[in-house]
Amino acid sequence: MTTRWSPALTFLLVLLVAAVALLVVEAGKDAAGGGIKVADPCQPRAPFPGHGLDATIQRIVLDGLDGAACRLHTTREELVLSLSPGSGARSVRWDEHTIEMALRAGLRRSVDEAERRGDIPGFVARAARRIVETAPIDVLVRGGVRLSDLIG
Amino acid sequence: MSTTRTATTSKRCATGLTRQLPLSQGRGSALLVGLLAIAVAIAFADSSVVVLALPELYTRFDTTIEGVAWVVTAYNAAVAVVALGLVFLVHRLRAATVLGGGLLVFTAASIACALAGSLSFLIVARCVQGIGAALLLAGSLPVLTAVAGSAVRGATVWTLAGTFGAALGPALGGVVTQAFGWPAIFAAQAPLAALGLLAVFAARDAPALEEGWRPSLVRTLPANACIGLLFGALVGVLFLSVLLVITVWGYSPIAGAGIVSILPAATLGARPLEQRLPRWAAVCGGAGLLTLGLLGLALLPSASVGFALGALTFCGAGLSLAIPILSGAALDLGAGLTRSATFTIGVRHLGLVLALASIAPLLASDLPSAGHRAELRATAVLLDGPVGLSKKVPVALDARKEFARAKAGEIPDLSRPFDAHGARHDPALAAVRDRLVGAIKDTITRSFRSAFLLSALLAAGALALALFFRRGQVLE
Repeated sequence: MTTRWSPALTFLLVLLVAAVALLVVEAGKDAAGGGIKVADPCQPRAPFPGHGLDATIQRIVLDGLDGAACRLHTTREELVLSLSPGSGARSVRWDEHTIEMALRAGLRRSVDEAERRGDIPGFVARAARRIVETAPIDVLVRGGVRLSDLIG
Repeated sequence: MSTTRTATTSKRCATGLTRQLPLSQGRGSALLVGLLAIAVAIAFADSSVVVLALPELYTRFDTTIEGVAWVVTAYNAAVAVVALGLVFLVHRLRAATVLGGGLLVFTAASIACALAGSLSFLIVARCVQGIGAALLLAGSLPVLTAVAGSAVRGATVWTLAGTFGAALGPALGGVVTQAFGWPAIFAAQAPLAALGLLAVFAARDAPALEEGWRPSLVRTLPANACIGLLFGALVGVLFLSVLLVITVWGYSPIAGAGIVSILPAATLGARPLEQRLPRWAAVCGGAGLLTLGLLGLALLPSASVGFALGALTFCGAGLSLAIPILSGAALDLGAGLTRSATFTIGVRHLGLVLALASIAPLLASDLPSAGHRAELRATAVLLDGPVGLSKKVPVALDARKEFARAKAGEIPDLSRPFDAHGARHDPALAAVRDRLVGAIKDTITRSFRSAFLLSALLAAGALALALFFRRGQVLE
């Protein structure tokens, strides 16, 4: 029953240790993350980078989506998918009116923030607030209009 | 150590098959042994040979994931049921007759598989192929013994052919699928199996192995229990890892075959070590390496070929260390050669089928939520991607179309909308594409974790059993 230690047993031990080392490295990489995280919309995050009209619009829209998602206690991504016709996330737990109200409120707040940051001058901010109040967001939420229709 | 092993084997042989078999003295016996070994390897490889072709079958027959999975399950279930049923009967039949019948059925069913025009026909043909494989494998060991000249030599060839056949299956299937299409997998098997009939013809006059009904199978139960668990664990290596590489990471069948070919390479590479280790150390070390390799696959932090290759190497080495010795222990080289071979064939395929039946629903239940997580992360990447609206919005709309176009269970090709809008020439857009595709692959890769962990648990069960039996000197 007793076994004498041999080079073969040593090699087997080396293999087993190497396999454990692989697991440790993998666990380290996994813990280090680096993967994509879906952020909490209620926490401040780095603004969308860039200058010019395009970047400004994206900052306002993304901040607006964050605000709306925070009000709805969901994530920005879940909210966007819930607006997408045929998406699995369509079975959301809010009614259309609630989503519409949250979107308008979130966009209003993001326009205010953009004005405060100096991204947009006051007269543009006023025009943007008017657009936020009058845009057919309710139709978009109901799925009657697709984003592609609005964009052309 | 090898002296000890030889002594053990000789002692076993003394109880039964000791006579010199005349065929071994004939010329060309090496060729016959080779032909039979190929037939045995093919029958074992067929458990997993079709895995790399599953995506192609899925598209060809416009079916569901469950439907296409039956192409694999049907074969293994048929082998398990027929082999376990044959245990009560096979020792009353002539081995050459069983082998010949098996080869004929297997060959005919392989041709039918290659010509299948519908999924239901293919599944039925795979069942018949499994019946042929069970007969072929049950009859091959006694005939190999007759042709090779000794039970030890015959069992060694049979065991090694089975081990390497199982390990080679996915890689071989991938190469053939890529080069000639999935029907070629089955078409290529038919002539190779038919060549085995030459050995049947040569062995037709070999003396029948007289095996009375003795409780010899009970002695093989510990080894068979370990083998059943290890073959269950192999579902993680032979099926899950292949599905991951092909369907999630998007490699072509031949590239996937290149990746999983590390498995037979490691199996071959670890063979000298297996011969130098004490039996218990080889079995326990092999089961341990397989457990750790499967844990390595479970913990893959991303869609990383490097990590997968490392984990598969340990799996292949573990397979090489444990299976041949356990197979030897599962064969009663004396009084119950045919029955013990048939029994162990049934047990290992039963292990595969039961593991498939447990692991497939687990994976199927994890994938939808992983798909939703992947969709959320992809949306996050796209929203935050530092590209202009003039590209971001059309890409997002086209990505939606890709999601709609992808069938249930398929991963949409989301690089296509990016490439259609200039990602090949726009580094910023290309970076968003790579990040998005990577996020999806990483998320789905992690959803395989519980399935790989269950496979690792089965291997750990084999290790625990081996350690337990070592205390009772069963594996000494």
